[in-house]
Amino acid sequence: MKKNIIIKNSIIKSCANITLPIALILGIYVILHGHLSPGGGFQGGVLIAGAVAIVFTAYGYKEVLSLFNAERAKTFEDIGALGYVFLGTLGLIYGYTFCTNVLWHSTPGKLYSSGTIFWMNFAVGYKVLAGLGFLIIMLVSNLYQTSEYEDEEEK
Amino acid sequence: MLLNYIGSFLIIILGLYITIVKKNLIKIVIGMSLMDSGINLLLISIGFRQGGTAPIFMSDLKPGAFFVDPVPQALTLTSIVIGACVTALALSLVIKIKAHYGSIDADKVRRLNG
Amino acid sequence: MTSYFSNLPIIAILAPFLGAFLVGLMGGRKKLLNVQRSIAIATTFTSFLSLIYLIKPVILDKYIVAYWMGNWKPESQWAIGIGLEVDAFSLFTALIIAAACFLSAIYSFKYMEEDNGLDKYYVLFQLLSASMIGFVLTGDVFNMYVMLEIMTFAAIALTSFRNHLYKSVEAGFKYIVIGSLGSSFILLGTILLYSQLHTLNLAQMAALLHGNYTPVSILALAFMLTGYAVKAFMVPCHTWPVDAHMAAPSSISMLLSGIMSKTGVYALVRILYMIYQSTGRPEMEFLIIFWGTITMLVGITMAVVQTDFKRLLAFSSVSQIGYIMVGFGVGLSVNKGVAVVGTMGALFHMLNHATFKSLLFLCAGAVLHQTGTTDLNKLGGLSKKMPYTTAFFIIGTLSISGIPPFNGFVSKWLIYQASFEAGYAPVTIIALMASVLTLASLIKVIQSVFFGQLKEEYKDVKEVPLFMRIPMMVLSAICIIVGVVPNFVSKYLIEPAAFSIYNIGNYIDVMFEKGYAAKMFKETVSIPSMDYTLAGYWNPLSWLILFMILLIALILFFSFGYKSSNNKVIDDLINTRYETFTGGEKEDYNHLGENDMFWGMRQDFGRYFRFIKGAHSGVVNDYVLWVVAACAIVTIYLFTLM
Repeated sequence: MKKNIIIKNSIIKSCANITLPIALILGIYVILHGHLSPGGGFQGGVLIAGAVAIVFTAYGYKEVLSLFNAERAKTFEDIGALGYVFLGTLGLIYGYTFCTNVLWHSTPGKLYSSGTIFWMNFAVGYKVLAGLGFLIIMLVSNLYQTSEYEDEEEK
Repeated sequence: MLLNYIGSFLIIILGLYITIVKKNLIKIVIGMSLMDSGINLLLISIGFRQGGTAPIFMSDLKPGAFFVDPVPQALTLTSIVIGACVTALALSLVIKIKAHYGSIDADKVRRLNG
Repeated sequence: MTSYFSNLPIIAILAPFLGAFLVGLMGGRKKLLNVQRSIAIATTFTSFLSLIYLIKPVILDKYIVAYWMGNWKPESQWAIGIGLEVDAFSLFTALIIAAACFLSAIYSFKYMEEDNGLDKYYVLFQLLSASMIGFVLTGDVFNMYVMLEIMTFAAIALTSFRNHLYKSVEAGFKYIVIGSLGSSFILLGTILLYSQLHTLNLAQMAALLHGNYTPVSILALAFMLTGYAVKAFMVPCHTWPVDAHMAAPSSISMLLSGIMSKTGVYALVRILYMIYQSTGRPEMEFLIIFWGTITMLVGITMAVVQTDFKRLLAFSSVSQIGYIMVGFGVGLSVNKGVAVVGTMGALFHMLNHATFKSLLFLCAGAVLHQTGTTDLNKLGGLSKKMPYTTAFFIIGTLSISGIPPFNGFVSKWLIYQASFEAGYAPVTIIALMASVLTLASLIKVIQSVFFGQLKEEYKDVKEVPLFMRIPMMVLSAICIIVGVVPNFVSKYLIEPAAFSIYNIGNYIDVMFEKGYAAKMFKETVSIPSMDYTLAGYWNPLSWLILFMILLIALILFFSFGYKSSNNKVIDDLINTRYETFTGGEKEDYNHLGENDMFWGMRQDFGRYFRFIKGAHSGVVNDYVLWVVAACAIVTIYLFTLM
């Protein structure tokens, strides 16, 4: 019985070791190319926040708490939101209306050609990954109020 | 194309049925989420045009290209986000109800009545 | 043309959003709490101030402000961007919302002292006020849905803020199930309308849908009516606010009850009057008036049998919304003179209801803050210790029942006259009865809470601090002033708003160019005329005497009426049929029974009251079934008559 659990744990851990970097890189790619392929801020942010779920599945509750700092995630979410509002008021400062694209270059199809939308993608992606990561940590930590999982982790 | 519309209305009605009949609080939350999925499917099917390609701004764009309608796709993104937030909020309320009342049966969570 | 006022709507919406994120950034440190409170008061004051600066161009010069976000102006007469449009009706509603949010921010300075986690409270409060102002100032149908969702989330989180009490959590869960159902219906209606017209702009929809209805658009109308009826609490979708207003903190209850219902009514008016252009159709008029009457009746019936302070106030809120819907229903009639009176009465009642309902909820909050309970059976005799609160509550009671010279009389008089002249005489009788029953239930509350015997454990309660008294003073002053000089308010605020509801052609032309509406309608658009005559006028002293005589007659009739010697006061030991049975033990002095003048009426009509009170069973599945049944009935009615 004990041998079964150790084998299952090591299978999940080695799979997670391979998929975790791939998931993170895919998330950053989706955020970066938001104006050229399907994706954008919200979708890439959700992919990166899935990293918390992968770490929880493979390593357990204690690893999640030691890797991610929940209090700082809450602060980062507000920084992302303030960044979005600031980029929107850039349009007001330049003399047009709210959310105007004022940094636009000329050739469509290249990576840095969409102006304000590029930075807005980053701000939204940052907010989403911080917010969803914090949410997953909170919901998971509610599961472990009882101690029946404690003995299984220490084996 | 007609299959999409029939399927989405079936999913909406199924979600409503679960919310009305089932008594377990978590099943009610699942019913709400199912209704949101049905509405998203209906929204995407409205924007379809026969023979159009995906509405992506590529570098070799010729004038006269035929896209499908991009507006419902933006609306669907917003609707998916809202559905995820509703599910998260409802589930955290269910956790708190279990801590107070001791059960998650809708017939027992009725102290505010009359 | 960008002048100094064209950026003001976006500043009014953005300022509370900015404040919410700044307060969240500061975290939960104790030393920064006063900074967070002042940020909340400053941002709500900023949005109120920018809306006041908009009064001069929009209301006095009759100019409509149109603002396209992202500078995406319409190309070849097709709208491709999100537009904000501010006309007199939007500005009227937005002023009420901004003023109430500002007063609530001042009230919660001292009221929420003993709770912890106050930074989260201020973040949610500012999100709520920003999204409400954004909802009424926008001109795009999907933007309305997004703002509505933000408003719903913030309100749910604030309802279950005190989650160490069981009633907050249960009320929050019921709110999220029924509220999310309503939002899904609204989204379904919007999608079906988009598939017919391929545009999301409010003005362009009105231009394209002129008169030619397809079956899909009628189905969309039915879904949207039901969805917004859930938000604006009309029967049978009224079951969520009575739990939510009871469980929320009082500075939030006043916003939920007095203000959020007005946004639902605003959306219904925009759909009926502007998109579907149903002025002059008798079947729509009958539907809205019938719906309003049922709301009045069920609301006041349940309010008479309650024993909890805030739940009773929530049910009387439901019945006042019925008055507003009857007024707007009469505004759809063919007879132009009567229609204008109806619309003006409904708009006036929106303003008055926000004022006196907020005042009543603030007084309830003051009592809860000092004594710690809202059960009517346990309180008593607080008028010696809290004189200011008693005075403000009496002013609120007299306003809500429509007694001159307070402001409730003016709006209720307009609604009575409008419904009588439109040919719906039974509605006038039911409205008068509801007024009297409102007065009765609130006098029961005054007798139980403020007069009577002082209980032992409440011997050393004090008056509420000054910060909590300032909003109550401001609201009472508005009640009295609006009641004494109604002509001034009517000329500067109500008439321009009523004119802009009917003036659809101007609304469409401002968004695009001149002459667009005439080209789309294929006829010339006429400017509506606003001449109306008021029946009689009010001479305050004579109406007050008449009302008192009617009230005393009703009390005498029900006390010594067709069944004699049943409803004497408690010290009649021979006829013990209606006393509480205590099994022979020493019984407590139940002073709730003798102060309830209509106690006898409740026993005589016992089956009716028991049926409606038993129908509110508290199970969440029943409430969902009522909403779906309402949607089905409205759909069948609209399809057979259009």
